[in-house]
Amino acid sequence: MSQVATVESAAIQEVQAASSSAELRAIEIKYLGKSGELTTLLRLIGTLPNEEKPKFGQQINEAKARVTALIEERDAALKGGEMLAQFEREKIDITLPGRPWRIGREHVLQLTANKIRRVLGGLGFRYIETPELEHVNYNFAALNYPPDHPAMDDQDTFYIDDDTVLRTQCTAMQGRIFEKVKPPLRYFTVGRTFRNEAVDRTHGHTFHQVDAVMIDEGISMADLKGVLELFAREMFGENAQVRFRPDFFPFVEPGVDYAISSPKFAGGRWLELGGAGLVHPNILRAYGIDEEKYSGFAFGLGVERIPMLAHGVDDLRHFLENDLRFLDQFTSEI
Amino acid sequence: MKFPYQMLLDYVQTSLDAEGIGDLLTMAGFELEGIEEVDGDKVLDIKVMSNRGDGLSVFGLSREVLAKDPKSSPTKLYEAAVAGFPGDEWPVMSPSPITIESKECNRFCGLVLENAGNGSTPDWMQKRLKQAGMRPISLLVDLTNYIVLELGRPMHAFDFDKLKGNRIVVRQAKAGEKLTTLNGDEHELKPDQMMVCDAEHPVGAPGVMGGLETEISESTTRVFVESAHFLNTAVRKLRKQLGLNTDASYRFERSVDPESCLQGLRRFHQLLQEAGVSPKVVGFADEYPNKPQTPTVNVRVSRANLLLGMPVTAAEAKGYLERLGMKVSGDGEPFSVQIPTWRPDLVQENDLVEEIGRIHGYDRIPTRLPHGTTLVSGTFGIEAFIDRVREEVVRAGFTQIISHSLRDVHPLDANGKRIMPRNPASPEAAYLRNALWPCLADAARRNQGEGLALFEIGRTFTANGERQELAVMTVGELLPVHWVKSQSPEADFYSLKQALLDICHQAGVTASVVAPKSSDPRLHPYQQAELHGEGGAFGLFGRIHPTAAEESSLSPDTVLATIDLERMFASRRDDIHLKPISRNPAVRRDIAILVDEAVPFASIEQTIGKALGGELERMWLFDVYKGKGIPEGKHSLAVALQLRKLGENFTDEEANQARDRAVQALASLGATIR
Repeated sequence: MSQVATVESAAIQEVQAASSSAELRAIEIKYLGKSGELTTLLRLIGTLPNEEKPKFGQQINEAKARVTALIEERDAALKGGEMLAQFEREKIDITLPGRPWRIGREHVLQLTANKIRRVLGGLGFRYIETPELEHVNYNFAALNYPPDHPAMDDQDTFYIDDDTVLRTQCTAMQGRIFEKVKPPLRYFTVGRTFRNEAVDRTHGHTFHQVDAVMIDEGISMADLKGVLELFAREMFGENAQVRFRPDFFPFVEPGVDYAISSPKFAGGRWLELGGAGLVHPNILRAYGIDEEKYSGFAFGLGVERIPMLAHGVDDLRHFLENDLRFLDQFTSEI
Repeated sequence: MKFPYQMLLDYVQTSLDAEGIGDLLTMAGFELEGIEEVDGDKVLDIKVMSNRGDGLSVFGLSREVLAKDPKSSPTKLYEAAVAGFPGDEWPVMSPSPITIESKECNRFCGLVLENAGNGSTPDWMQKRLKQAGMRPISLLVDLTNYIVLELGRPMHAFDFDKLKGNRIVVRQAKAGEKLTTLNGDEHELKPDQMMVCDAEHPVGAPGVMGGLETEISESTTRVFVESAHFLNTAVRKLRKQLGLNTDASYRFERSVDPESCLQGLRRFHQLLQEAGVSPKVVGFADEYPNKPQTPTVNVRVSRANLLLGMPVTAAEAKGYLERLGMKVSGDGEPFSVQIPTWRPDLVQENDLVEEIGRIHGYDRIPTRLPHGTTLVSGTFGIEAFIDRVREEVVRAGFTQIISHSLRDVHPLDANGKRIMPRNPASPEAAYLRNALWPCLADAARRNQGEGLALFEIGRTFTANGERQELAVMTVGELLPVHWVKSQSPEADFYSLKQALLDICHQAGVTASVVAPKSSDPRLHPYQQAELHGEGGAFGLFGRIHPTAAEESSLSPDTVLATIDLERMFASRRDDIHLKPISRNPAVRRDIAILVDEAVPFASIEQTIGKALGGELERMWLFDVYKGKGIPEGKHSLAVALQLRKLGENFTDEEANQARDRAVQALASLGATIR
């Protein structure tokens, strides 16, 4: 056996016997390193006759290549094993609690308002906020309430003084809009309203409303129904339907109470959501809007009613009490 | 209003059962609130809209049923009621015992009957009254109650012989006059109050309640039955002043048909006879100085079609209006419609469009989407800014609360006059909040007051009006305790400061933290600061004052901030200009200095910044040490300087020189290198 073959077979034996990648690295240096046993054999080349030199060099290189390949192969196997062993050592209990990170969240009424705002914004309405402490005129007279009319009894009002009330309805935004903006227009708000009512599971002195108004040429009850239906479908699911029932609000004529029905809620029962109708011609006239050219609709609804329907909240009082055990349960919009 | 279903059948021949009638009325605008079984019959409870006083009677609702359901037909009684229950003519009293002096009384009819009270109420009537929730009292009282239920016509029976001079005068009260009403209350009257009087003094509050003195009794032989009409606004004013809510006032406020005065008296006489009492008619009088106009309103069928968004033919529209008792003429472009006296709510075209739509059926309105002008929609201006701020506060890890604006006073209220409703709902809701901190404090207490990071965005109210504010609060551990590392940083002034600066920065507001000119008593005097922007101060934050903490049952480590969002909005910047980004590496030099504790860090920052100029990319404090080896009153600060040039590398030499320049400059603050 040639010297090369002897060294090579010793190397192969050692590689095969290596039990760790560290050992393997040592073997690699011992045979293939700068002063490794196979590498140093090349020095013998000078002692050989010229015609044998290329062959000898080739033998060494081939041997080195074989040993290298074997080391790589062996290394891969050893490393795999070692990694598996390491994984075993690094085994953790994945059921231990996660490391805390402070996550902020929005209130369920905010989440509801966000969704309403996305839907109505998408339907072409512009968002606006107007005062909660409102001039009595915007809350009543500008909305076609006759002076001292029983319709006002429907909304027990908190008066601050003779001129100032806590708004009883977000519809109070209308006068402020009509003073500044000429039709065509589409506006909506989500805001807080107040009524002097006794507090129980379904009544409060403070609640929130959505109120929208649209004025353009040729707007009809059918447009109102269409917009409400689309709104209801975005809010309550694809198959939601809208039903109108005559009702009286001084600021609309015709006036309706609208209900929605969705297979997702209350077994498809009709659920009354709010009031709507065509903007009263007295209001259009009062703001110099040509009632023959323009007509429009308005609608309102209670914000709290939506999570109550969607999530089974059975007591209105939960919303403003800020118990985190309540609030933390709401993570999606509805 | 409650009535037994059987009573409706007196007026309407229909195949609809009680539930069917309830549904039909609901879809006509008279919402069924419930059906209950009382004494073997179904009793319907119907909610009547405040502009539809005509719906507050079985007769009025029958009209709606007949209009809405062509399959139902009127009974003979219905037709008799429409005709005003015609009967034998009554002798007219001459001279009339009635004088109307008040402009607030449109009509006053009286029927004087002798020997009317000596009978008893028929069982069927007693049963129906009970079913409707009324208590049978005596024949005459029961009759007036029954007629209110049946026809919506309030009436009142006086003992004719107790009326001084056997006269009725409707006039304004005189100063000093008094009236004791049937319920025993004595009222001091004012000259602006209309009163029903006899020849001498007031005997009844018109449209509200009769007087005790002239009440009928067992000894009454001659009864004067009043059937009158008063202005709804006058009745409303009077019942508010007297504090008497009665069935009659409720109806008058919502309008009672002046034309039904006589109908009521006729029915009274008829029912009395049916009860087996045959009184002698002493006489009848009718003063009617203000006969209401029956207006004519035009409605175009084309307009109705346009506004309703559904096709209705002229013939259909005419039919609906006629079934509701209106006289219709013309071809539909327009129809000229004579409005009946019981419908004062119908004054213009849209009102009639509603009637046409209501009877045609709103369920027949199709859905359509508006096609018209495209407008810019969504959120802009301060509304959009507040959305942005809210998103950033949430991102900074705060949980939103939403609280009542009506509340009780609280130690964390802001200084200044509070706004309060004149008529608060309860002592707990007697004031409008003038700050959001009390709301956060309440929420913190509700949630055990530890490990909380809360915020609220809402409106506060002061004598200067309404403001939109943001308030935040943190207390306790910033992160929940964890098994990996049991210590969590605690909320303090500095954690809140950084959160606020980050929120401001992200919302486009460059804020600086400034010591306040005068300290807010709700906060620790030396751990509070203002947030300033281009428009001046817009916020305040700091650690709670120990006294306020104790009074509010909060931890003394609680930190709080309040921001005026309108002022913050005014301070926002929208002039971001990109700074060039250097591709050359940065070098870091650290300095440790010994300096008086009284020297604010801001001066050190400014001094270094000035000394190094644009080459100082960033500097940060990474250690503060005092104690062993540090003289009393001083502390050691370790500051890292990150230096970088644009287009050129910093050599070690240059970096060292920069560091030395910083150290030299700091000498002006009495700082020495350590």
